[in-house]
Amino acid sequence: MSGVLRISSALAWRNLWRNRRRTAIMLAAISVGAWAMIFLTALTQGMVNEMIRDGLSVLPGHVQVHHPDYRDDPSIANLIPVADGELEDRFDAAGFQDWSTRIRVPAVISSERETRGVTLLGIDPARERNFTFVDLETLDGRFLDGTEDRGIVIGRKLADTLETRTGKRVVVMSQDPDNELADRGFRVIGVYRANLPSYEEQFVLIGKRTAQQFLNVDDRVTEAIAIGDDFREVEPVLQEVRALMHGDPVTVNAWWDLDTYLGAMLPMMDGFVLVWVIVIFLALSFGLVNTLVMSVFERVREIGVMLALGMRPSAIRWQIVVESMLLLVFGLVIGNTLSFASTYAIRDGIDVSIVAEGMEMMGASARLVPDLTVDNVVLANVVVLVLGFFASLSPAWRASRYDPIEAITTVQ
Amino acid sequence: MHCLPSFVIVILTVLPLSAVAQSSEPGLTEPQPIESNQEGPPDPRQIVQGAIDQWRGVSSVSELSMSIRRPDWERTMTMRAWTRGDEQSLVRVLAPSKDRGNGTLTDDDNMWTFSPRVNRVIKIPSSMMNQSWMGSDFSNKDVTRADDIVDQYTHTLVAIREQDGITVYEIEAVPLEDAAVVWGREVMLIRSDYVLTEHRYYDQDDELVKTLTSLDIGEMGGRMLALRQRMQEVDSPGAWTEIAVKSAEYDVDLPDRLFTLSNLRNPRD
Repeated sequence: MSGVLRISSALAWRNLWRNRRRTAIMLAAISVGAWAMIFLTALTQGMVNEMIRDGLSVLPGHVQVHHPDYRDDPSIANLIPVADGELEDRFDAAGFQDWSTRIRVPAVISSERETRGVTLLGIDPARERNFTFVDLETLDGRFLDGTEDRGIVIGRKLADTLETRTGKRVVVMSQDPDNELADRGFRVIGVYRANLPSYEEQFVLIGKRTAQQFLNVDDRVTEAIAIGDDFREVEPVLQEVRALMHGDPVTVNAWWDLDTYLGAMLPMMDGFVLVWVIVIFLALSFGLVNTLVMSVFERVREIGVMLALGMRPSAIRWQIVVESMLLLVFGLVIGNTLSFASTYAIRDGIDVSIVAEGMEMMGASARLVPDLTVDNVVLANVVVLVLGFFASLSPAWRASRYDPIEAITTVQ
Repeated sequence: MHCLPSFVIVILTVLPLSAVAQSSEPGLTEPQPIESNQEGPPDPRQIVQGAIDQWRGVSSVSELSMSIRRPDWERTMTMRAWTRGDEQSLVRVLAPSKDRGNGTLTDDDNMWTFSPRVNRVIKIPSSMMNQSWMGSDFSNKDVTRADDIVDQYTHTLVAIREQDGITVYEIEAVPLEDAAVVWGREVMLIRSDYVLTEHRYYDQDDELVKTLTSLDIGEMGGRMLALRQRMQEVDSPGAWTEIAVKSAEYDVDLPDRLFTLSNLRNPRD
């Protein structure tokens, strides 16, 4: 039997090259299809990664601890009911890649000319330097020196709106836990740039200790965060933080709970890739089936002769299927090579700043860096091969069902 | 945008800004004539303090009108105001009739408003403290925070001159580093009888942003007052707010119940 298979396979291979032009066109179609599946998937994946990374950069902390009411009402009244010193000790001992505790409350900032609502972050600059969304390279002025720094760092866009700059004073207003007005002047010590201009407008940074004094909260904070190696694999960190905070009345959330829009992006992306791959394959499959059907039609007499000589119908089927699979495999090899090459060519990203505003609305930045993942490549190839196999069954089945006598006498 | 003293003063008469008190002993005293207790140049801080005390007294009841002028409209409101000590004030609108009954109560740094139309007392949150008070060129914060001009600034006596037969002190006030004040500096012209004649606000580039000017000065309730003051921004020549004192009584005995939320809601005065 294996001899028959070998002969069938050899026949399939040779048949493939009987009509070189047709095979070449089909190969081109499969290659382009595979390229489109993989390359466009990589681009989309890159965009999604960027959105998530940007989103997480202003929500630094893959896992965050808050007062149970903080997420509904992010006010200074909802402090973590554990002293900051104690939190710091616990997190420090746990050995996370990065961690921090901070104060994050809404506030109002005003200059002589303008008043704006902002989010006030009281941070420990030594800790947050590693992962802050502030671009320290292009910072105008200096970053916060320590938790007791009396200055404030604001974004470039906010500075423009307020018509202020490094060295001038602004007033920040918020409230303390008793709902009393808290206000104070700060000198602008740094003006930062961020990936997205909307962040530059929203966040202002002061030292954590200064914020605690300003807001009258002693040694308390509104959030404690821990960061793992990869935003996709946060579960272990989540478990560890849960264990750290066990017994305290706090909520511990991973980033996908904190920002459900971002959290929905990953599963949505996977679904999108599958749909995209199948749609392309459907278009491709018409060409594939047509090619196979044609090559069967051209060989009706030949098939009749083989059947008459005693070849089993299953061997005929095998031959057609192998022919189809060879076509697909070659097409995929070329398509994969093409997509690896084109992904490599733009590995540093492509500049889409022409549509930067639109991209920003989606939370993505002006540089699109493709991300070729093994999962997506395997998915595309497997879909093409498996569905291709099923698509070729119908012509194969027809070829194997010819009556030898009729087939031999068919006039072509 | 913050508490400008002058403004304070303006409103102080009316609204008790929480200001003055801190440097004077409890129970405000009538300011002494500046010259009488000075040897050498007078202390600028005391002059400012004196001007605020002059405006407010230990307590006051006054009737004011506030005119808000914009390029395409103008309106005038009449209000009655009670103040006591540094912290407490109540202002109630008497006219026009559509605004009648609107009230503002301040106590320390807190501020509440009441409008009979919605029949609710609303506490002004910190995010709204910089917004306009009753549509005027004064902010809510101006109304609640008068004392800042004394304790959040360093004061310098820049010049002393004679004008219309009376001595005028020019005092420059520079906010402290942590002060919740956006201005680069403020300049006040205060007469020797503690009447503020002008208050100028400069930004941190030393450009003049707005000016409070006393247009009429006269006697009312037994003391010299700026009877009409105008707040005007340099950038918008067609827009200003004027506050005129129609009557004022000082050092009257005011009951505690005046400065309560229930009185704000249900006037019994």
